[in-house]
Formats: sequence, C-alpha cells, structure tokens
Amino acid sequence: MNLFQFCNGIIVWLVELVNNLWYWLGDVLPWYFGDFFTGIGDFAGSHGHIVVMTIVLESLMVIIVALINVLNFIWLDRKLSGRIFDFYGPYYVGYRIGGWLQNLADGMKLFVKEIIVPAKADKLGFLLAPVIFVGSSFLILATIPLSPNFGIATNESGEFVTAGVLFAFAAFAIAPFSILLAGWSSNNKFTLIGGMRSAAQMMSYEIPLLLTVASVVLLAGSFSFVGIVDAQHDIWFAIPLFIGLVVFLVCIAAEVEVTPFDLPEAEAELVEGWTTEYSGMRFGLFMMTSYLRGYAGGALATALFLGGWQGPSLIPDEIWFLIKAYTVFVVIEWMRWSLPRVRVDQILELGWKRLLPLAVLNLLIAATFKTMGWFSG
Amino acid sequence: MREGGRSNQDPTGNIERAPLTIGEDPEEHVLRTINDEFGKSVEGSERVRAGLIRARLARDSLYDACKLLRDDLGFEHLSMISAVDYPDRFEIVYHINSYQSNIMLELIVKLPKDDPTVDSISSIWGGANWNERESYDLMGIVFNDHPKLERILLPKDTMYHPLRKDFRM
Amino acid sequence: MAEMWINMGPQHPMTHGLWNLRVKVDGETIVDAEPEVGYLHRGIEKICENRTYPQIIPLADRLCYGSSLTWSHLYCMTVEDLMGVEVPERAEYIRVVTLEMQRLASHLMWLAAYAVDLGMMAGFIYSMRDREVLVDLLQSLSGSRLTYNYPRIGGVAHDLPPNWDREALRACNYIETRLKEYEDLYEGSKIFMMRNVDVGLLTKEDALDLGVTGPPLRASGVRYDMRKDRPYSVYSDLDFEVCSRPEGDCFARYRVRIDEMWESCKIIRQAIQRMPKGKWRTVAPRNAPVGTGLGRVEDPRGEGMMYVVGDGSDKPYRLKIRSPIFITVSAAPSMLVGYKMADVVAIMGGLDMCIGECDR
Repeated sequence: MNLFQFCNGIIVWLVELVNNLWYWLGDVLPWYFGDFFTGIGDFAGSHGHIVVMTIVLESLMVIIVALINVLNFIWLDRKLSGRIFDFYGPYYVGYRIGGWLQNLADGMKLFVKEIIVPAKADKLGFLLAPVIFVGSSFLILATIPLSPNFGIATNESGEFVTAGVLFAFAAFAIAPFSILLAGWSSNNKFTLIGGMRSAAQMMSYEIPLLLTVASVVLLAGSFSFVGIVDAQHDIWFAIPLFIGLVVFLVCIAAEVEVTPFDLPEAEAELVEGWTTEYSGMRFGLFMMTSYLRGYAGGALATALFLGGWQGPSLIPDEIWFLIKAYTVFVVIEWMRWSLPRVRVDQILELGWKRLLPLAVLNLLIAATFKTMGWFSG
Repeated sequence: MREGGRSNQDPTGNIERAPLTIGEDPEEHVLRTINDEFGKSVEGSERVRAGLIRARLARDSLYDACKLLRDDLGFEHLSMISAVDYPDRFEIVYHINSYQSNIMLELIVKLPKDDPTVDSISSIWGGANWNERESYDLMGIVFNDHPKLERILLPKDTMYHPLRKDFRM
Repeated sequence: MAEMWINMGPQHPMTHGLWNLRVKVDGETIVDAEPEVGYLHRGIEKICENRTYPQIIPLADRLCYGSSLTWSHLYCMTVEDLMGVEVPERAEYIRVVTLEMQRLASHLMWLAAYAVDLGMMAGFIYSMRDREVLVDLLQSLSGSRLTYNYPRIGGVAHDLPPNWDREALRACNYIETRLKEYEDLYEGSKIFMMRNVDVGLLTKEDALDLGVTGPPLRASGVRYDMRKDRPYSVYSDLDFEVCSRPEGDCFARYRVRIDEMWESCKIIRQAIQRMPKGKWRTVAPRNAPVGTGLGRVEDPRGEGMMYVVGDGSDKPYRLKIRSPIFITVSAAPSMLVGYKMADVVAIMGGLDMCIGECDR
C-alpha cells in the first residue's frame, strides 16, 4: 500500500462517515432542504473530490513528517554542537527525552513576539519574502519520496512523476529570489549586502550542483527519484562518483548557508545578514526553513548518491532513508561548528575555479562509466 | 600558503640599532645634540634615570626639534602626549621613545594660560594625531595645523574641557 | 553598487565593545574607514584627581575588562616611581606571575573573540573554557574574577594562598597542551589561513609612524618588547624570548600572540621556581611628593603607560593614561583600505580591541 492508497482509504472512510449525515438530512428534511444536502453528499462522494482531498491529506502528511524532521534536526544540531563544544545542549525542557521540547518552547516564544516592520521598509516585499522562502522550501520535498510507497508526486496507481529531480532542483533555486527580496525590502545596508551576497553565492553554486546531478542522472538514465534509487541497487553512486558526492555536499552546504559558507548571514560583519530586520515568527520561519533546507539537502544527497531507501530489510525503507539523510546532515553540521567562515571573493573563487572543474570532471567520469556500459538504465 | 608552526625568530625582524659615536653614551648624545641645535630654546635638560631623559623646550622650536629627534636621533615612536593644567601654566609632556637606542625622552613644553596653542606634530608622527585630539578635547589645547582637530572622546557639542582644574565635578 | 558609508557600530557584533567604525564600501571593497570612539568615556582621569592614591587601584582595574591586573599593576608602578617606594622582591615575583596569567587570560579571550569573528564557534568555546582555569586561579588569589584589585602601592594585597604555586604550575601544563591543540585547530584549517594570510598588512614603517605598539608592532617586524628591552619588574632575571614576525598581516599577529602565550607559560614556571620567601608588601606613604612619576608596562595589547603628577597631597594632581588600543585603532584605516568587508572583522579582531581602556 502506498501513501496515495493509504490516504485514499482514509478519505473514503471519512467521506462515507460524513455522507451518512448528509443523506440522513436529505431524507428527513423537506425536499427543498433535503435535495441540497443530498447534493452535498453526492459531491463529496464523487471521484474528483476524493482525489483532491487525498492529495491534500498526502501533502499534509509530508509536511508534518518534514516538520517533525526539522524539529529533530534542530535538536540534533544543538545536541551535537553541545557535544563538540563541551556542554550539554538543550536539557531542561523535556529532560526525559533529552531536551527535545526546547525547540517547541522556542517556537512558542517566537510566536508571541511582535513582528516589527521597519518604517521605511517595502512592506509587501518584506512580508512576502518569508512566505516565498518557506513555500519554495516545502516544494522541494514534494517530489522526494522517502520510499517507493511514501511520496506525493505520484499518480493514482503509485507511479512517480518522471521529472522529480528537475522539479526538486527548480524549487531549490527559488530561494535566492526571496532572500534578495528580503534583503532589499528591509531597507538596510547590511541586509542589502547580505541579500546580494546570497544571490551571488547561490547562483554560482547552482551550476556545479546541477552538473553533479546531471552525472547522476546520466548514470541512472532517469529523472525520477525512484529510477535513480533503483539504479543504485548494485552499487551506490557515491562510490563511482565520489568526487560528485563531495562537490554535491559542498554545494548543498553553500545553498543551505551553513558556516563555512554562511556569508549572507555572517553575524560578525553583517550583524545577521539578510535576516537582520526580521523579528518574531518571521525570523523563526527563516531559521526553521534553513533547517528544512538542510533536511532537503540531506534527502537529496541520500537519494542521489547514498542509495536512497535501500538497505537490509530489518528496518523499514523510510527509516533507512531518514538515517542516511540524518547522517548527511550531521556531517554538514560537524563542518559547520568547527570551521571558520570564508570570504566573499574566496567563496566565489572556490565555486568557479575549484568546484566547477571538479563537477565537469565528475560528469566526464560518469560519461565514461556509461559508455563502458557498466551502468545500464 | 605560509607555514604555521612555532615562531620563526627571524633575525631580519630585529631593528637596526643606530650607530653611535664611539665611546659616547646614547643618552648624553641625545642631550648634547638637543642642546647644540636648540641651545637658546632649551630651558633645561637632565637625565632622570637610566633610559629616561627630560628636556624643557620653548614652544616655538617644538616642531623643528621633533623633526630632528625623529630624523637624526632615531626617535621613531611617540608614546604619549599629556597635557597638565598647572595653576599658572599649561604643560604639554611628550613622551618620545627610541627603539634603536632604547631611550625615552620626556619633552616638556610650557604654554601660557591665556593662549594654549602649540604646533601640531602629527605630520611627524602619525600616532600624535589622536593624542593631540584627545588633549584638545579634554584640556582645550589648540594644535596648529592639525589635520582634523575635533573632539574625540566627548560629544561634538560639549561646551567645556573637563580636565581643566576650573571644571569642578 | 555605488559607494556608501556603513556604520559598523556602535551596536555591532564586530566591535567587541562600544565604538563605531565607519567604513566606506564600494561593493564589498573598503575605500575609506574612520573609527569613532568615545562611547564608553567615563572620565577616569578626572575621577582620579578626586581620589586618594590607594582608592585609584580599583578604578585602574576598570580600565580594561580583558586585562585589568595589568592596569592596576601599572598604576601601582607609576605611583611607586613617584613616591620612591621599594617593592619587596617576593611581591615583584608574585606580580610577574599574576601579570603573565593575566596576559594568558587576555590572549585567550582575544583568541575566543577572534575565532567567533571568523565564524568559528568551536574556538570561542574552547578558549573561554581554558581561560576559566586562569580566572579561577586569580580568583582564589584575589577574590574576584574580572577586576582583581590585587596589587597595592608597595607590593601586593596578600601572600599567595597555600598550594597556589603548585596549582599555577599545573595550569601552565594544561594551557600548554591546549595551546598545541589550538595551533592544530587554527593553522590546520585552510580556511583560517585563507582568511588571515596577507590580510590587513601593516608595514614596519607605518607601524612605527602611527605609534602602534604591542603584538601588532612585533608582528610587523619590530622586535621590541618592554619586558625584554626595558625590563620593569623582575623580568630581567627571567629567560624568555621576544616573539616577532616580519610579515605584518593578520596571521603574524595571531602567531605572535600564540607565541607569547607559550612564553608566558615559561615565565610563570621560572618565576614560581625563583620566588623568594619574605615580605610581600611595604607600607607606602600617604602623601606623594611634588614631582612626576612614569610607568610603562607591556600590556597584552601594547604599551601601557601612565604619567602621574603629584602635588604633595594625598591625591594625584594629574594622572594621564596611555592606552595602547587608543593609538592602535587610530591606525586602523591604513590597515583596512583595500580589503573586503569581511576582512574588517579579521583585522580589527586581530588588534584585540578593548574599549574600556581606549575611551577611559
């Protein structure tokens, strides 16, 4: 049973439950009311309505899974940084589960804080930017399946869309726009510089990122995540395309803006970069979304290089996938907490002069493997 | 990429010690030169203790004396400019240090109460710039030809010079 | 992007205190810079004129939160010079030990701030944690953790607590093992080297002209350390090296400070071994004679200097304080121009700003 069938079952059951009410009302009421309720029941029971509601429920489940993962990630990040820095990390709020509830407490604190809009800010852009940022980041997750049975980008029989990778990276690339918008509309020099840096950095790291993805697609012969993961049945792409994995991780770290590459929000020189003027939950959304993008990056690396959900079948596919994604995230966070920040010219130099040639080399290796016929697909 | 590791005690990093006249003590050399060059305007010079000499100078010849001190006697470092408000006069004390001969020279210039102006030496030692601004700010000494004689520690609209003795707390 | 002025400060994570660096940037490149100080001006020099001589010691502590002991020690030295007080030898040795501990603590705090300036949280936490060892030792000696109020005119406040010297030696060993780790952590990181090497060049001529002192001067190739060249306490009896490097960039300044920490550990060991028994304090007169006193020490940040004028009463007629950072920050534009905005934090962090002593 895949996610669609599962949600479909729930929706059908719910609709039947509620339709009992509508049809009973239709029976007992006079005809001019009764036909109305019967009509509602007919509409609710129609195929189109059930499919739409199923998709909504599916999206909701994916979003909930993503948010729980984000909470886990923030908690893991804090605990891990605590271990690196020789302190405990979150401890008191929910001490029986290792301080896991601290994030919820922080979120509640952010919710009750005032959202301050600077007087001279461009209000529409200022308020719109977090929405675009969060929305586009959730879009990335739309096509990433946790297992062949857990994903929303399917048709009714559970076949995944064939262009899932393209869609995920297209959604990944929307963020620079919202960051630039946030930086510019805040009407602050620091946020403007942060937004500009972010745009320059993300654009220059898109190219090696997509080149490594192209090498994976070349080897797998498919644009769909399921196809790519199936192609890694014998050997993970991380082994033939090790250079690609390294380039991919560096690029993901730059896209997610963690410390060696967190120039857009470099707190030492740019106060807080493009998020300087944001307060309350709008800042909280930015922060949460950066972890969400970290989760998306880990999931992409898992699906593209680390064999996705494949593993010994002792534990479910979804858990395998998450374990691998968490591992990638831990590696990125480890890097984050122990390295200093690079400079803006150095980061562009690294992107164009080091990562781009490496990505091209990686593509060459992939093409070689493909022509040798070692990978079919 | 440069190597890390423990410090390279590079001998070229050392300062060149100035050649001395044979047999002459560097402190006496400095005192003699000042007295020879600015005999009329030197109002007194003494050796306070080893490594510290003191000279009193008329304010007209301050700039030339400082130029001589830096160019010929090797006083590369202006440590401190202190302005003191005595009941009958202002005194500006320049502590000038020579890394080469390891001498500190205390150069004292007397200024009258009604006209506390003196030539700026910030074109000789760049480090004098902020020192002089501070003396202007807190004591009200005016330095002629200073590139930017503004208040530095106090707000720009302060009406008084707080370190003067007539400013009561 | 057109050129624009940016106020980095007074409330800015880069400033480590309360000052304002106005930079004019063309895109990301700095074309002009102008430091503004004075936000923390407390008028200490004026307050001192209304306090008796011993009352000023805690005030001198407040000059710098990073290395308060150096300043109270400098004040006591200056007044001893004015009054002609002889300090017992044991007190001198205790002073040297505490001064070097203060130097270690101050440099560790600098290292912590420098690491977080460069975005390296691990360095911050580690340095602050190791500074704790020294702060605890100084606390057991003086009773407080930040402003110690420990030196007195004519000696120190109390003798060492029992077993304190053994603890100090253990702290030295600990700090030395940690220093090795820092060297690996920082210099092993290629990003750290990229951010530091050839950044913020200060030539020897500029450094001399602008009156820069301390580690920045020594990093520019002038090997001058007052502890060696004009020894003030019992430094002439101790064996240590003056650390200098010829390059004059941020990495050289970092390296000079790390080397100074090694030397400080060496000095503490020797001073504890040679420390004689005896008195630790003499009674100083209440009133100072008419005259002037001058004190100079090698502060962790540069050349600290005080000039005191006595008028025969029990209060100083004038006390002038030379702050090394006040002069060093005036040299900042010559280091900043031409580098990127991100280098501002590396360069200014490498100078070890301490606004308490700068604004006085």
